[in-house]
Amino acid sequence: MTPREQRIFGFAVFAAFVVFVFVLPQFISDFRARDYAYVGIYLIALLGLNILTGYTGQISLGHGAFMAIGGYTTAILMAGNEQFGGPVPSGMQDIWTLPIAGLVAGLFGLAFGLPALRLSGLYLALATFAVAVAMPSTVKRFEEYTGGGEGIQLFGLPELTGSNAVAPADPNAPATFELLGLTFTQNDWMYYLAWSIALGAFAGAWLILRGRTGRAFRAVRDSETAAVSSGVSLARYKTLAFGISAAYAGVAGGLFAIASAFVNPDTFPVALSIFLLVGIVVGGLGGLSGLVVGAIFVAFLPLWAQGQDLGSLLPDSVIQGDTVSIPILGDFLFKGTSAPGGPAIVYGIVLILLMFVLPNGVGGLFRRIGQVITNRRYSRSK
Amino acid sequence: MIHRRSVVVAAVGAALAVALPTAFAGSAADPGISSTAIVIGGTSPLTGPAASYASVARGANAYFAFVNARGGVNERKIDYRIVDDAYNPAQTVQAVRRLVEQDRVFVVFNTLGTESNLAVRDYLNQVKVPQLFVASGATTWGRDAAKYPWTIGFQPSYAAEGLVYGQYIARTKKKAKVAVLFQNDDYGKDLLASLKAGLGRSGSKVVAAEAYQVTSSDVGSQVAKLKASGANVFCIFATPTFAIQSYVFANRLGWKPLVINNAVSGTSNIMVLASEGGKNKLVEGTITTTVLKDPTDPRWNKDPGMKQYRVLLAKYAKGANPNDVYHVYGMAVGYETVSLLRRLGANPTRVALMTRARSIASPKNPFLLPGVVVKTGKGDSFPIQQGQLQRWKKGRFVPVGGLWTSKRN
Amino acid sequence: MIAAAFTDFMQQVVSGLASGGIYALLALALVIIHRSTGVINFAQGEMATLSAYIAWALIVHHSWSYWPAFAATLVISFFGGIGIHTAIIRPVESGSVLRIVIVTIGLLVAINGFVVWQWSGEPQQLQSPFGTEVYDVGGVVVAAHDIGTITVALGIVLLLGALFRFTKVGLALRAAAVNPEEARLVGVRVSWMLGLGWGLAALLGGVAGMLTAPTVGLDPNMMAAVLIYSFAAAVLGGIDSPIGAVVGGLLIGVLLNMLSFLSQYGMFDWFTEELRLPMALLIILAVLLIRPQGILGRPEVKRV
Repeated sequence: MTPREQRIFGFAVFAAFVVFVFVLPQFISDFRARDYAYVGIYLIALLGLNILTGYTGQISLGHGAFMAIGGYTTAILMAGNEQFGGPVPSGMQDIWTLPIAGLVAGLFGLAFGLPALRLSGLYLALATFAVAVAMPSTVKRFEEYTGGGEGIQLFGLPELTGSNAVAPADPNAPATFELLGLTFTQNDWMYYLAWSIALGAFAGAWLILRGRTGRAFRAVRDSETAAVSSGVSLARYKTLAFGISAAYAGVAGGLFAIASAFVNPDTFPVALSIFLLVGIVVGGLGGLSGLVVGAIFVAFLPLWAQGQDLGSLLPDSVIQGDTVSIPILGDFLFKGTSAPGGPAIVYGIVLILLMFVLPNGVGGLFRRIGQVITNRRYSRSK
Repeated sequence: MIHRRSVVVAAVGAALAVALPTAFAGSAADPGISSTAIVIGGTSPLTGPAASYASVARGANAYFAFVNARGGVNERKIDYRIVDDAYNPAQTVQAVRRLVEQDRVFVVFNTLGTESNLAVRDYLNQVKVPQLFVASGATTWGRDAAKYPWTIGFQPSYAAEGLVYGQYIARTKKKAKVAVLFQNDDYGKDLLASLKAGLGRSGSKVVAAEAYQVTSSDVGSQVAKLKASGANVFCIFATPTFAIQSYVFANRLGWKPLVINNAVSGTSNIMVLASEGGKNKLVEGTITTTVLKDPTDPRWNKDPGMKQYRVLLAKYAKGANPNDVYHVYGMAVGYETVSLLRRLGANPTRVALMTRARSIASPKNPFLLPGVVVKTGKGDSFPIQQGQLQRWKKGRFVPVGGLWTSKRN
Repeated sequence: MIAAAFTDFMQQVVSGLASGGIYALLALALVIIHRSTGVINFAQGEMATLSAYIAWALIVHHSWSYWPAFAATLVISFFGGIGIHTAIIRPVESGSVLRIVIVTIGLLVAINGFVVWQWSGEPQQLQSPFGTEVYDVGGVVVAAHDIGTITVALGIVLLLGALFRFTKVGLALRAAAVNPEEARLVGVRVSWMLGLGWGLAALLGGVAGMLTAPTVGLDPNMMAAVLIYSFAAAVLGGIDSPIGAVVGGLLIGVLLNMLSFLSQYGMFDWFTEELRLPMALLIILAVLLIRPQGILGRPEVKRV
């Protein structure tokens, strides 16, 4: 295939994906649409993180903190002043807070990116980890601005689109509301809002990365010394990458706040930052298609692991009724993997196995399949 | 000229118009009620900083299993869905939405944690799903019943509890200096405020109050500051992990105050842990209050309610520790729930449930202390308004005085 | 008033040294692993928690007495560490930094989940080997547990130091960490040495866990904050310097308590207890930005 044909193939795949996204709610339950809305939200954050880590090679274990900044910006602008006072005027409609959330987070990203220039690899990971861990405590400390530990309740507020939904007579049917001449349920609305922005963000990322900026990013990742010698300003591009990725995370955070209709300092815990990094590694660094899988992984694996009882896979000789017999050590009460802690064990093991089997993530797998389809014979440099 | 956008928008609209009516074939009964089952759901801190309270859900579950084994309630089995929220209100919000909108539960039951329940109260009241027997003593559940008619509590309010402690100190110690460790949320602040009210103008007062966050790792510095205030009474308004730590740190600092431990941590199993294998003498003389029968108290060895408790726990909660008093709480609230559901008859509705919940008269809950009644009525939205002060003496609780009754409504 | 302040001060110093001792142990574990395998082990805290639970299970469920349980736990931890390295870390050691980070994160999640699954999240109490006595030393109340912790921490550090310096194994360990290629050439079984490094780190973590549990209560998340303070200690002291880790740990323990103490007396009163952890993290950030090699480390020089 010629490069032009490859490009058209890529567009076709993207177009098919867009159609799929818009049609999906028809085939799933109303509440599932909410789950998939979160996939879209995580995708936005992962797109941002991917720009930073996949394209300029800077590891961040702190993107949950940027999501927190975005989420709190949205919540404070929507309802802050009414609920706990504070200096920021509130009453803004949820959608309009999103660009501001992105901007504020992006500015913080730029501010962090500058000193981060001095760090690399594991040290940067540690520094960003520190930010992620410090964020909840900092939010609690400045409760005059953030509402402190009690959080900000967004449910039912007029600023939240869809709050005016009317419940139909049938208690089993969801409430609906009108917008732009269409009827939405709250969950469907969240889904379409999240995915419209996600697809837009996807397109935006693609545009940024195919141009000069993207080439500069890749140059920085592949070899900083070579990049500098070819005239690429490390400071500018590395900081820019931080800013852009933080802005993406900020928008995702704002959407997260809207979807959850509640924020408190523990809405964006350290675990979130960790799972975002997990998401892009599992999804596959550098490429964009694997990120959708990464987003699904972040959103669903914990839920899936909770529903699955892997005890049924073990032979009866080992498990009789409730007890497991292990020679020498004796009998243990077997709880099944849906017991508390079980899902986490599954999650951890799956992560480790994935890193053994698919070091380039699922995206790497897609790329190899894509190469076969487009008959690219040369191997991609890392 | 057809704009592409309007085609897309129309397609979306058409898709929705087709999807919505067919996706939800309604039925006349309330959600969660089928011919064979009543689905109830709630969140519980199975993991995280308040994991001691997981036993509440386990106890309730065991009681429901027992009732189901005997045919259930009006021919329906109780399907109790417990979801972990790790005591984090952000997770509670997601979990409760899932329970209501996907699992379609009849009621949200015994969700644990003051902040967790506050986070979902607006939502549940708006979608008109009962928030039944909230596992928290925050005064607001009863006090704000008019504003939030779908929410009702269960255990004695923190306002009543703090008041009782304040009055006890005022009565027994002249010019006491009181130091308080409290959780920095509505639960802790509720207790602190009512303690101060109970102390009134007796000459005893709170000389130091230190807060901690649920996500703190330890309360060592707070306890050090409290000791430095020179107080001779130490009130612990904290969840079990931090209550135990308070005893450990206070002991290590050589501080020997009278300790008042709040009801949610003042259970015998927690006191035993705090005694550090019997070596920590600070537990001796601790004052707390309770409404539950203690499984380790020999007074109840022949009590039919506690015998049943032990049998049910062994049968329906394998591996559970019968000395864990939180199981008793779970069974007590499970018992009231089953009575309530029975009163609804063959066609339970949410509205009927809440109406009945506001007129409970249950004087003989087998798991509560004799004389403690579960009662609500016009103007009374607090199901339990009594308690028994008790003192920890040589490895066991001994009652102090008779049952107290709170007049607050 | 001054006397009261002085006793408070000394008390804070002593308990600061005690917590600092625990940070030192865990930081030392982190440094050993980083020096030998170049990995930052995010699962170090959870491994320590697991060790503490094993000790507890032996004592409470199998009726062992304390010191045999302590010793057995150390042995189990040591071989557990070697096992984890061989089975889980070795296959990805040579890969990208990110891959290794994810693997240790997977380990963190899985071990934490296992602890909850096996023993539930409810708090338990692990006794202190030093009892609950307190001693009055000239008006300053000092807990036996704190003294014991400081002693054990320093003792182990000295033992390890001796191991590294004066034994063949120690020499081989250092060689394998500094220059694996050349070490192989002189006959050092490098992969065994790396495994040994992980075993030692796990053992150190086990001690840290068993000393932490009596104070804060045994629960699955008890080492989470300690891990972060230990990161701060390792970075402060120099991520490749064992002595630095110990110095860093003690410094951080005392420093945080000093801030607490001073805030009681009016200075630094913006420092509320919520800021303890962020303070440690601020230290990490400050060190990484101003002097990344820490107090006792050597600057990393990149060849171009």
